[in-house]
Parts: sequence; structure tokens; C-alpha cells
Amino acid sequence: MLIGDHRAVELEGFIKSYPAGWLRRPVPAVGPVSLRIARGQVLGLLGPNGSGKSTLLKALAGLILPSAGRCRILNHPAGSDAGRRAVGYLPESVRLPPYQTGREFLRYCAGLSSLSTSQAESRVEAVIAWAGLGLAIDRRLATYSKGMRQRLGLAQAVVHEPQVVLLDEPASGLDPEGRLALVQMIRDLAAQGRTVVFSSHLLAQSEQICDRVAILGTGRLLWEGLAAELPGPPPGAVPALSPLEAIYLEKIHGRR
Amino acid sequence: MAAAEQRFARLRASPQRVGWVARHTLAEALRLRLTVLFAIAGAMLVLMALRLQEFNFGHAELKFISDFGLGGIGLMGTLLAALATAQLFFSDIHGGVVGCLFTRALRRWEYVAGKLVGVMALLALFVSALVAVLAIVIALRERDLGGSLFPLARLLQAGALVWLKLTLVAVMTLTVCTYAGSMLFAALAGLLLAMVAQLRPLAEAPHGLAWLRVWPNLGLFDAEPLLNGLTVPLPFLVLYWFGYMVLFTGLAAYVCQQRDY
Repeated sequence: MLIGDHRAVELEGFIKSYPAGWLRRPVPAVGPVSLRIARGQVLGLLGPNGSGKSTLLKALAGLILPSAGRCRILNHPAGSDAGRRAVGYLPESVRLPPYQTGREFLRYCAGLSSLSTSQAESRVEAVIAWAGLGLAIDRRLATYSKGMRQRLGLAQAVVHEPQVVLLDEPASGLDPEGRLALVQMIRDLAAQGRTVVFSSHLLAQSEQICDRVAILGTGRLLWEGLAAELPGPPPGAVPALSPLEAIYLEKIHGRR
Repeated sequence: MAAAEQRFARLRASPQRVGWVARHTLAEALRLRLTVLFAIAGAMLVLMALRLQEFNFGHAELKFISDFGLGGIGLMGTLLAALATAQLFFSDIHGGVVGCLFTRALRRWEYVAGKLVGVMALLALFVSALVAVLAIVIALRERDLGGSLFPLARLLQAGALVWLKLTLVAVMTLTVCTYAGSMLFAALAGLLLAMVAQLRPLAEAPHGLAWLRVWPNLGLFDAEPLLNGLTVPLPFLVLYWFGYMVLFTGLAAYVCQQRDY
């Protein structure tokens, strides 16, 4: 039960519809979804492709408007001035300007966040160190590997010290070492008291770092709860399945 | 007092964010292949005026060179204004960068204004560079013919008129971009709108399309009367240009605000 100011993120009857067909009638793609996340929690949004994970994250980031219901960030409507200032967002597979250096891109992001010049400089240096981009930061982005681009993406998402960090498939395309680094970075954010919401297909890693887990399927919230409360595998289940893997398969495919 | 200071700081932050987007847009625009392509093509058209001087249709040679040169700058500039605006807008959208930008203090109207200012700066550089080439060509011919025959101030005014016209093409394309789903559609629609605006005097005909009269008339920005030695109502033209710039930018900002990214 989350009360008042403890809510960092709140979705209340969120529905997103898109026009379809000749008559452009709205067809619901996601929802209704209701979800509340407390400050400082890490929530993993899990589900197959097309289940609505990215849509939910974009709605929280204020990039798409809900067709019905409401999205709030720290009690401000998502997409409002205050709502936008409170979030940091890493889009899925972002194509950063190849001619810029990492430092130039971070300065640009800091400038758009209305940080003063001195604040921006100190924040840029801080996130460069945090994301481990020290040696590569003055190279052109065209020369960055996928892992380095993801690190830079995370750095831009937190350069303005947002309270809520939204990460869309942050582990996609990363090698095992990159994934371990990402897990550590998400843990760092949680340790700083930030709320982190991320989408992923990697169940084992989500289980390691999440306080809460939400499983989506065909635009609906199938299950949501504390990671620590996940039920153990039932007798006779495939032994290799972790509790999260077991409940994921049960909710998505109705089997254990 | 503190509240007033905060309000002032917020007011000051807005143009700064527009400036960030504009600088970023200009830096990207100067690296576009099509900028280089159209600049070279424009310069070649201006230089071609020297070769085509025999086909001057009875006009004075320097008048023909300036007519042809400014026509070339206008043609290449129109293509650049539509294509570069569409490419610069959609590079952020298709690359997902817009997700990193719109989740900050930056407001969507500031983004639209920044993009426009960046493209306007690009067009200013483009027109300045090509008018400079044209001025050199005219100066060289004047030297061969002996004496100063063509006033430079008139050429500069004509260049300013071409720039005003090109920025109107850019803002019309930007308005389409905020609604369109693809770069190609936005660029072609921008060019089509520019063509309609260029043919706008047809709406003045007795059986012309009356509804077209609300559309901007790019014909007003033609440098022809200026080169013929006539005076152009520059303050009126600047006011006319400013009105349409504000109208289209406001429309683009509104559509951008309503759109899902």
C-alpha cells in the first residue's frame, strides 16, 4: 500500500489506443493498466515483444498521451514541466548523432535540462566517471560500440539528476560483461534513492535487481508484485527455472 | 523577490534551450551531404551565368548575370530549405534522439523554434556564400567592361529577399514535418506548398482560386523589381514574412505538442 508522497510513479486505468482501419476507429493497444511504484524502488517490466512495455515507459516519460486514465510522476502529470524534470529516459536502441563526441552530447543534454554552465560541467564529469566512459568520452560517437552507446545513454538519462529513471530495454545487445556493468549501474541508481523502471527480456538479471516485477502480456498487466514474494517452483517443475521464470511462463503461456 | 527572480531565470532559460537546439541543428546541417551538394550546384549555376551571357534575351549583361545567379540561388535554396528541414527533423525522430530531448526541461515549442532557427542560420550562410560568389562574378565582369555599373547594395537587398523566401519554405516544411510520418512525404509536401506559394499570384486572377489568398505569396519576395531599379516595400515585406513565420511556427508547435513520439 503506497500513500501520498511515497508514490514515485502512478498509472491509474491507463489505456493507449491507436486508430486502425479505414474508419480510423481507436483500437486499444495497451490497458487498462494500474500500477504504483514507491520512491526508491526498482521495477522490472517484463513481457514478450508487443506486450506494451515500451508504450508504458513512453507514457511515463510524457512522450505519448494516454487515451484514457492518468500517468503521474511524483504527483505531477507525466509530460508536464515538473513531470519531465523529474524523469530521465533511455529509449530503446537510440541512434546518437555520429559526428558528436560523447562529451558534446552530454553537454547538449545538460543544456536542454537547464543546468547552469558550472552545474552542467560538474554533472557531465560526474556521469562520465559513473558510466566508465573516461577514455572514450572525447571520441566521435560513430566509433562507439553498442555497450559504450548504452553507457552513454544511461549517462544522459541521469545527467540532470532525475528522481525517476526509465530505461527501455537497457540490456539489449549487450555482452555478458556489459550486462554485469548495467546491473551495477542500476543498483547504484537505487542506492542513490532513485526510482528505476526498466523493461527487459532477461528474467534472471531482473530477478537480481528488482524490488518489484510487473509482467505484461498483450497490453494487459498479468501479474505484479514484490520480487521477494515470488512463489517457489511447484513440485515437479523443471528444476532449471527460477521463481520468476516459472511465474513468467505461467502467466504468458499458462504453463509451469 | 525570490519568486520574481525565479520567474526571470525561467524566462531566460527558454531562449537558452532554443539556442542549444539551434546550434545543434546548424552543426548537423553543415555536415549534411545535401548541404554541400546544393551549395556546389548553386555556385555552379551562378558561375554558369558567365557562360550563358550570349543568351541574355536583350537584357544588359550584368542584369542577366544577377537575374540568372539569384534564380539559381533561389532554386537550389528552395530544394535545400525543404529537404534539409525534413532530414534534420526526422533524423531526431527516427533515431530515437527525440526521446532523450523531450524528457527534459525543453518544451516542444522550444524544440520546434530551435530547429527553425538552426535551419534559418543554415540558409543565411548558404545565401550569403552564394551571393558573395555572385558579387565576385559581377565585379569581375564590371572590371572587364570598365567602371562600376551594378550597385552592390541592391544585390545585398536581393539576397535578403531570397533568404526571407527560403525561410518561409523552411517553416512550411517544418509544419508538415510535425504531422508527417516520413521524411520523404514531408520534403515533397514542403516543396509542393512552396510551389503553390510561388504560384499564388494566380489566385488574384478574376476566376482564380479565392481560398488560395490566405496562403503566403512567395512572388512578393522575387528580386526582379529590385534588379530593375524599382523600390521594394521592405518594411511591409518583413512584416508580412514575420506574420507567416509566427503563424506556421505556432501551428507546428501545436501539432508537435499533440503528437506521440
